[in-house]
Amino acid sequence: MTVLDQTRAPGTTRGPGAPRRRSPLGSRWTPYLFLGPAALFILVFQAVPLVQEVYLSFTRTSLLNPTRSEWVGLDNFNRIFGDPDFRHTLLITLVYVVACVVGAVGAGLVVALLLNRGFRGRGVARALVTIPWAAPGIAVALIATWMLNAQYGIVNRLLDAVGLGVPGGAILDSPRYALPAVLATTIWQLFPFTSVVLLSALQAVPQDLNEAATMDGAGRWASFRAVTWQVIKPTVGLLALLMTIWSLRRFELIWLMTKGGPVGATETLVIDLYSQAFDSKELGSAAAIGMVGVIISLIVITGSRLVARAVEKENVR
Amino acid sequence: MSKKPARFRVVGAACALGLVAALLTGCGSDGGSGDGVAKLTFAASTFGDPGRGPQLTAWLEEFNKSQDKVQVSAAAVPYPTFGQTVLTQMGSGKGPDLVRFDMPEFEAAADAGLIAPLDELVDAGKYDLLKQPDQFMVHDGVRHGIIFEASNYAMFYNADLIPTPPTTYEEFTATAKSLTKGDVFGLAFRQTEAEEAGVWQDIFNYVYGFGGAWSDGKNLTINSPENLKGLQAYKDLYDANVIPRGADAATFRRMFAEGKVGMELNNGGYVTATRGQNPQLNFNVAPIPFPVRKQGAILAPIVINEASPAKDEAATFIKWALEPQNQVKLQEILGASSVATTTQRSAASLEKTPFLTVFDELTDSSLPQIVLGFEAKTPDIRKVVVQNVIAALQGKADLKSALDRAQQQATELVG
Repeated sequence: MTVLDQTRAPGTTRGPGAPRRRSPLGSRWTPYLFLGPAALFILVFQAVPLVQEVYLSFTRTSLLNPTRSEWVGLDNFNRIFGDPDFRHTLLITLVYVVACVVGAVGAGLVVALLLNRGFRGRGVARALVTIPWAAPGIAVALIATWMLNAQYGIVNRLLDAVGLGVPGGAILDSPRYALPAVLATTIWQLFPFTSVVLLSALQAVPQDLNEAATMDGAGRWASFRAVTWQVIKPTVGLLALLMTIWSLRRFELIWLMTKGGPVGATETLVIDLYSQAFDSKELGSAAAIGMVGVIISLIVITGSRLVARAVEKENVR
Repeated sequence: MSKKPARFRVVGAACALGLVAALLTGCGSDGGSGDGVAKLTFAASTFGDPGRGPQLTAWLEEFNKSQDKVQVSAAAVPYPTFGQTVLTQMGSGKGPDLVRFDMPEFEAAADAGLIAPLDELVDAGKYDLLKQPDQFMVHDGVRHGIIFEASNYAMFYNADLIPTPPTTYEEFTATAKSLTKGDVFGLAFRQTEAEEAGVWQDIFNYVYGFGGAWSDGKNLTINSPENLKGLQAYKDLYDANVIPRGADAATFRRMFAEGKVGMELNNGGYVTATRGQNPQLNFNVAPIPFPVRKQGAILAPIVINEASPAKDEAATFIKWALEPQNQVKLQEILGASSVATTTQRSAASLEKTPFLTVFDELTDSSLPQIVLGFEAKTPDIRKVVVQNVIAALQGKADLKSALDRAQQQATELVG
């Protein structure tokens, strides 16, 4: 008896002369049917807007008259790259993304290592850690804004108490402290995600390898580098990639806390894009800024794939 | 060939068609109703005001009761995103039929041809319109709006803390400094980039109150000596720490209502809101004590969307609103603001709020917060000016350099 025969339902055995009955799900079109909705969704909501954005970036188009656009070639790109404020925006974006990735993955790793150890109340601690990630971004931004408020905020009161208060107390209005404050809030919201993912990766680390390393005289750090890090490295790489892309396109937290200010201190690419589109009503310039963001994302993704492939080859050798 | 796959395909195709049909119908608008009644929407941020919103909605209902062919419903869009939301809708050929705009957005929309000219729809000559605010409703001889609300800026002060209001700038700064102690501040104004439109409204009083102007009608004059003087006064008060730095308008207005701020420059629209926050607050209003009697005014025109399919019906509402008895009712709702036409305040409202006359007397010296000659570009110029002034407040540049930079950037912007 073949495997197919075994899986056939009782009473459905087909004789040699019986007509061939095909299940509706067995048609060669079935995969397309299942892929269709997803493909349609991507086409309508991603591919078409992306093509439209590419076109818009080569035009002068006003939000007030979007149907009347004028082809200007590379003018929008020349203008934004010739603008020192845009170069400053790129720098702020770079600082923001790098700090978010390092901060969120670093804090997540520390917390995951702590939660991976046996202690009483570990289950409760693991549940509590996920709260910032579960909270809606808007709520997080509003709470942070209140905590950082110059008049009523607890942060400045505490800093004042230890002699580190910001003069005037307006942390979010200070070009020096606004970006660190936004970064701290972002990392606070992100680290639970990285810690949960890394915790699951840590649980896949074979304990016998760690024990063998310890018996061979390896200290904690050496054991972490030689065993634990090797196992969790691909997860860290994936998290770093995700954090980079999410940080590049993060909008609501920054917008609600500072609107990109003061004096451009927290203006990232997406904030600049929004300002161009809806404050200045210049859809063409906004689309050009968006294209810069798309290109940066593509570079990051391609770069990370190349690095992953190189590491894989290295491991095979 | 089996029938099942064919039936499956038919069902699949029907589902897909149904989905497309549902999407298409969902994207369309109802465009009125089948019972011959034109259903219009009137968008205004004031419909969302806790104090005035419900009263304005009731006022609309009076119109609806008086009509059998036109019905207007209120669409409350929050103030911070009002311009963006409505202009984006109008730019795509949709949006509400009637809109209450602020001046910068009104000018941008009029310039882009998004507002229906009113000359053919409303005979403005029939009404006793207030000349000073009404002059800004007409562009190149074409009327685009009718004043819905005109609200002049004045100095609100806590009468318990300040028995006699200052009458000169020197007295103003001395009062602010003497009152600032502990958690009480002598003054409050907007000074954060997050409140760009609000900062623009506040610095307007300093610029014009010291004899300056954003333009001479043909050229921008952002870095003129008078502007520098006015904005230096604004910066000096910021540097003197007499304001709650970092506090947004919502916060410092609550502080004013709680007696923790002595003075603020604000428009008549906030009398009702201030009373709503603390009915016991003993506050009064006086003209802004700056060297030149010129201050900002919030002018809010009502306009008809060029894309509206029911312009005549929308004009019916505007004509109803301009009738004397409806203007009086509107003014009672709006409190210390003025309406389109000359109206008499009732004895009861004057008894309850004696300082209403202060606002009324400022009408002739009040100006809308736009850049004359560059009206449609006001939002862009505002952004440049506010960013540079805040850079000076934050010590990133000295004020003169910041204004020179703003002048250069704004000039490039307007061409």
